Amino acid sequence: MDWKRFGFIALIITALFTAVVMVGQSQQRPLMIITSMLATTIAVATPLTLGALAGVFCERSGVVNIGIEGMMLSSAFFGWFTAMYLFNVYHWSLMACIVTGTIVAIFFGGLMGVLLAWLSVTFKVDQIIGGTVINILAVGLTGFLNRQLFFGKTSLFEGTVPSSPGVFSAIHLPITEIFAPLCKGGNLCLENMSAINRVFDQKPIAWAAIILVFISHYVLFHTRWGLRTRAVGEHPRAADTVGINVERMRYANVIIGGMLAGLAGAYFTIESIPSFEPLMTNGRGFISLAAMIFGNWTPIGAWAAALVFGSSQALQINMQIFRDAIPPQWAFLQQSYVVGLTPYILTMLILTGIIGKTTPPAADGVPYEK
Amino acid sequence: MKKLYFVMALVIIASMMLTACGAPAAPVATEAPAATEAPAMTEAPVAATEAPVATEAPSTDCTSPDVFCVGVVTDVGKVDDKSFNQSAWEGVQKSKDDGVADIIQYIETTDAKDYAKNISQFGDAGYDVIVTVGFGLGEATAAAAALYPDVRFIGVDQFQAADVAGVTGLNFPEDNAGFLVGALAAQMSKSAHIGGVFATDLVPPVWRFGEGYRAGALYINPNIKIDVVYHNDVGFDKTFTDPEWAANAANAMVDGGADVIFAGGGKTGNGAVVAAAQRGIYAIGVDTDQYFTLPEAAPRILSSAMKLIVPGVATLIASAKDGSIKDGNFMGDAGYAPFHDLDGEVSAEVKAKMEEIAAGLLDGSIKTNVAPVKP
Repeated sequence: MDWKRFGFIALIITALFTAVVMVGQSQQRPLMIITSMLATTIAVATPLTLGALAGVFCERSGVVNIGIEGMMLSSAFFGWFTAMYLFNVYHWSLMACIVTGTIVAIFFGGLMGVLLAWLSVTFKVDQIIGGTVINILAVGLTGFLNRQLFFGKTSLFEGTVPSSPGVFSAIHLPITEIFAPLCKGGNLCLENMSAINRVFDQKPIAWAAIILVFISHYVLFHTRWGLRTRAVGEHPRAADTVGINVERMRYANVIIGGMLAGLAGAYFTIESIPSFEPLMTNGRGFISLAAMIFGNWTPIGAWAAALVFGSSQALQINMQIFRDAIPPQWAFLQQSYVVGLTPYILTMLILTGIIGKTTPPAADGVPYEK
Repeated sequence: MKKLYFVMALVIIASMMLTACGAPAAPVATEAPAATEAPAMTEAPVAATEAPVATEAPSTDCTSPDVFCVGVVTDVGKVDDKSFNQSAWEGVQKSKDDGVADIIQYIETTDAKDYAKNISQFGDAGYDVIVTVGFGLGEATAAAAALYPDVRFIGVDQFQAADVAGVTGLNFPEDNAGFLVGALAAQMSKSAHIGGVFATDLVPPVWRFGEGYRAGALYINPNIKIDVVYHNDVGFDKTFTDPEWAANAANAMVDGGADVIFAGGGKTGNGAVVAAAQRGIYAIGVDTDQYFTLPEAAPRILSSAMKLIVPGVATLIASAKDGSIKDGNFMGDAGYAPFHDLDGEVSAEVKAKMEEIAAGLLDGSIKTNVAPVKP
């Protein structure tokens, strides 16, 4: 475990939260601010976490994946389209539609993974170009289909965008219900408890992302599969010599990565908002890559980094909400682009090696020739 | 290896074609046909740009005085953005339906660097009117007006600080529209806490919506709590296309107790409207009556702060044809959309108050006191 890195990350998140609490405490109780920010942080971090996990699996096996953005975008479209189509044409129930939509999104992400693996493992194409192909393909494909299907009077639904079934609702954990007796009827205590409860009332994909972080950690570092994956990414020739099928390991990991990116895509259109807009992933795939590097190619590190990006987004939103409470000497905080720069400044700091070097897998990006 | 190159070529060609069709790229280097080479004109701008966005191919010659051609250059964003680009295009379509324009065409800008190039596509093809949509195209439009003195330019959302020959800026009192929905939100809020989620305040119309909203809410209730958030932390290329960010911002406000949310700014705003509707609170849309453009949110859309872009564009095109159009600014109309499904929840007093405010804004007895651009 890389405690220096985690300590640095924890310090940053704490600093960001403290700044908002100091500004906003005249308008809202600190606990309320913190819980609201935590909820925002976890939501924002969800696609970044999943995208970063996708990157970890691909790169640990030696395939650079800069196509995460494209994988997310195309999965977001196809997942949403499936859910919407089943809902409007076959009149399935809400839950059936969005669950099927999620599965299709994961499947489609996997399919994009197959494409990347095919290009970069079978044909040994430069992996950066392979990823770029996926990014361009996704922008074109989703934009084209979105236009053909929904825009213009001759399109599938005569120019109207039919209504989408909806999004996953939050899973309510009965924390308040269980611990309420501890409050002995105190109203403030109950209010606090329900505020804390709200942090844990996350939606299914957000929970899945957190659980997948730990599963990925276990798989990569505590199973034979993980050992082989890392061997293939560090020294494929040695792995080949001891009888590991390098191509097959890389294929499998890139497809797993694609499926994770697919789930991230489902977050956009099935969990966050029930509609698709062209280019809606807006560079989050690339921020995921930064999170992966920030986290030194480990699942837990990548998650922590995603939380930093999430909390700086929460800072940016909350600083504006508390705009009127910002003291005059801190007026620069009203310029939201100042706080908006936080994640980028942090990434630069990390890359300068301030908290120790990040080391990519040795064979990352190198096609394996027998 | 041959097979590999074949596959790569295939994939790249396929992706380029799809990109060209779906998100028409900025016109790539074209040989603009000289105005005298009439025969070349039949294949003019679309074929040259590789961007088959045409809903109808120009089959006649736009340089001929008998054929009245209107072209639209969108801002970064799409002509199907369910917002201002789409409205401008609908205005042009309306002028064709009205028999004013003979040939209509649009080019979607994908990169702000291509504004001038896209405008000259139409200029070189001899279009009579070019509609440029969005604040961002202001400078490019003024520059193009000098280059094509025979063309009438209509700049949607482009405030003309000084008159430019050949350019008419179509502007709207967004602050009035924002003021109206702000007053509505303040009256409908039970928690005396409302929110607004907007794209960047560096774009003046967005700023006027946001600050008009604030002013309108304070006009009704000076003690109301108003959360206003702008998406300033990203560039112009992303600030209008980030619905997920807006959804998170809206959710944060709802968590904090806001029970009405107004959202403005292309697809970013759509995200907040839909998120607010999902949470079951009142949502207020922008630009057009979003009850019709966002079916996911329709049942919870209380109203929309409307800029009447469609009639504004059509009126200006008609006056360009009969020659009565003037340089400088043309002020379109703004208002608020009907309550639709939520009509029953809006009391008669609120409706009366809204009409009173609308009348007051129109005759000048109520002022929003919002600066035209962010100071």
